[in-house]
This record gives sequence, structure tokens and C-alpha cells, in this order.
Amino acid sequence: AISLARIGSSGINAEYGEVGRLCYIRLGDNAGKTCVIVDLVDQKRLLVDGPHCGLARQVIRLKNLAITDLKVKIARGCKTNVVRAAVTKEDIANKFLQTSLSKKAESKKAKAALGDFDRFKLRVAKTAHNRKIRSAVRKLKKSS
Amino acid sequence: VEPGCFLQGHLPRSSVLLASDGLSLELNGLLNGRSGGDLVPPYSALIPLLEISRSAVYRKRALYKRNKIATTPAAKETVEFKTKTVAGEKNGGTRKVPLQKAPRFYPTEDCKVPLKNRKTVKQTKLRSSITPGTVVILLAGAHRGKRAICLKQLPSGLLLVTGPYKINGVPLRRVDQAYVIATSTKVELPALPAIGDEIFKRKGKPTKNEKEMFVDSAGDSGYKISAEKIALQKEVDAAVVPAVKAVDMLQSYLRSRFTLTKGQYPHEMQF
Repeated sequence: AISLARIGSSGINAEYGEVGRLCYIRLGDNAGKTCVIVDLVDQKRLLVDGPHCGLARQVIRLKNLAITDLKVKIARGCKTNVVRAAVTKEDIANKFLQTSLSKKAESKKAKAALGDFDRFKLRVAKTAHNRKIRSAVRKLKKSS
Repeated sequence: VEPGCFLQGHLPRSSVLLASDGLSLELNGLLNGRSGGDLVPPYSALIPLLEISRSAVYRKRALYKRNKIATTPAAKETVEFKTKTVAGEKNGGTRKVPLQKAPRFYPTEDCKVPLKNRKTVKQTKLRSSITPGTVVILLAGAHRGKRAICLKQLPSGLLLVTGPYKINGVPLRRVDQAYVIATSTKVELPALPAIGDEIFKRKGKPTKNEKEMFVDSAGDSGYKISAEKIALQKEVDAAVVPAVKAVDMLQSYLRSRFTLTKGQYPHEMQF
């Protein structure tokens, strides 16, 4: 019997740490890569494999992961080449790029890479943007 | 003990000595066919390898038995005098004149002569991120936090920097590269007038001989910017400001100051 490690069920999207689920690695050396859950070690640890992004098969802690709602159909404990075949068949890597999690990670990376001039331009743009919103809100308040 | 470990040294060749004594064969065996020419260690280092004592080495080498080569060089013939003919009947006709005259003056005490200084002064190496036209954040001084344009590196090693003055009030100024953060923003600079360290040198205080007995300190109005500097600033601004205006938002960027807000850590930021 496979015990499912339940992670933060919000009612609408109850994401489970189950075999075949795609996870995004948040922390550690492999941060930024995605992996597929192959087996469960215990309540806190999972055996993952990420042949599509060069991640070796390894045991990883749940706290270093962010579970996505994408899933791949594989058997528990299957070999890496089976995982690879399943991942390419369902094109999970590209599907992941469409998710908001992936987009947020990308924007965070881009923000960290901004130079001093870029940061200035961003600040100016943000100020102008917020000013427009505030003036529109003020107008609405006045008229009501 | 591995022979190889001793051959890590940087010791001079002693192959001549090696060939002439009976230890060479043993050594060859140790070197395993490698040419030990440049890496031959002294015999003291070889003793643990060859497992013979220092006195045994001495006996084996038997340098005391060998023919000693006379090493005294032949004495050079130094010509010290030159014979010169002298005019006049009673002057002896010729005179010996030394080629090197004795000095006219001898110091009363033999003073120590300082060692020769063979150091050459090199210009400070500039960080690769700082090039002419780089926008630079000034970190210290009256203009701290301001963004200025680095014009070039002066012969003294300091950076020549300008706001431009018209844009943010930073004049033509010398700044050390250590007090500066180089950003990745670069401006295309046109040809600028030649500027050296001389304009920046301040006139020193008058020496005792120059000064009068009582100096009127009230008359000393402090440092005044020379007209030459003002003119030079105008010239540089006329060249640089159009280059700045050509880039979108660069002027307002140069007018703004650099600050750190919450969550910003310089070691984590890209400039």
C-alpha cells in the first residue's frame, strides 16, 4: 500500500505527493529544476527523478519541493528510462512552462538579474503605473 | 620514500658533478631513466634515498683526492697612468697623468649609502568593469550616492569622473576606483579634451621664506575654482551631455541617487 503524503490541501487543489507527480525544486543545489516523484521514502522524503533536466535520481526532502498539479503515468519505483519515456510522451516539461509557478520563478530570476539602470527604469515605471491607478481611484471616489 | 617527491624541487643543475662520481649510476636508477638535469636535488636530500650517511657520501665522492683546477684568474693589466708630453724646458719633458683623477672632495664621515631601489611605479590596474563611459556610483565624499560618468583613468591611477556637472552637479573630479561601484551601463563618449592630473593639483601653503612675518588669515578666502577649470568643465559637458541625452531615461537616471531599500543587499545585487 502506498501512503500518500498530503501537502497543503487547500480544498480546491489538493496536491498530493504521489507517484508520477511533477515537482519543482525550490531549494538546494538543484533549485529551479523539475522532477517526477518515483517513490515515497517516508512522510518527509521522496525518491525523485528528473531525466528531462539532467537531474539524477535521488532522495529529496518535501520541504525543498513545490508540488505542481501536473502528473505523469508511471509505476512506483520504475527505472529512469521509463520515467524519461513517460515525460517526453506527455511533454510535461513544456506543460510546466505554462504554469504560473514556472512563470513566477522566471520573473524572480529576471528581477535578480536586473542592473542598476534597469532597476531605476522599473521603479519609474512602477511609480507612474501606481500613480495612474491612484488617480483613477480618487476620481471614482469623488464621483460616487 | 618515493624518489619523485624530492624531484619536485627547483634546484640548479649539478649534472657535471654527478657524472664525475660513482653515485651517478645509483642516481640514474632512482630517476628511472628520467633526465635529472634540472631537478637534481642536493646530496643531503639524496641521503635518505641512497641510505648512506653524509660522511659516507664524502668518502665516496672523494673530492679531496681529485685534481684541483686552478681557478685563480689571470691578473688584468690595468693601465693607470698615461704619459703626456709637457712643454717647457725645465719641466722634464713628460709627465705621468693618472687616467682616473682622485676626487677633489672627501666627506668627513663615511655615510651609509642607501640600497638601490629598482622598483618601477606602475599605473594602478583598473577593474575590468570600469571603462571610459561607464556610469559609476560614487560611494564617498560630498557626492556620495550620485551616479557619474567615468571619463578615463588618469596617469596617477585615479579615475576622472564627471556628472556631467550640468546634470547632477558632479564636477570634473578625481576618484579612486575603490570608492566607486561600476554599473553595467556604458555611454558612448565622443572625443574629449586632454585632461591630466595637473589641473587638480592644489597650490601648497606658502613656505616660511615666501610668507610674511604675520599672515593676514582674514584675507585667505579659501579654495576658489580656477577659471581654467570652469572652462574645461563647460567643454567636457558640451561633449558628454548630448551623448547622455541620446540614451532614453539616462539623464533622469544620472540625476537620481543610489539608495538601498529594505531587502536589497549589495552582495546579492547586479549592477
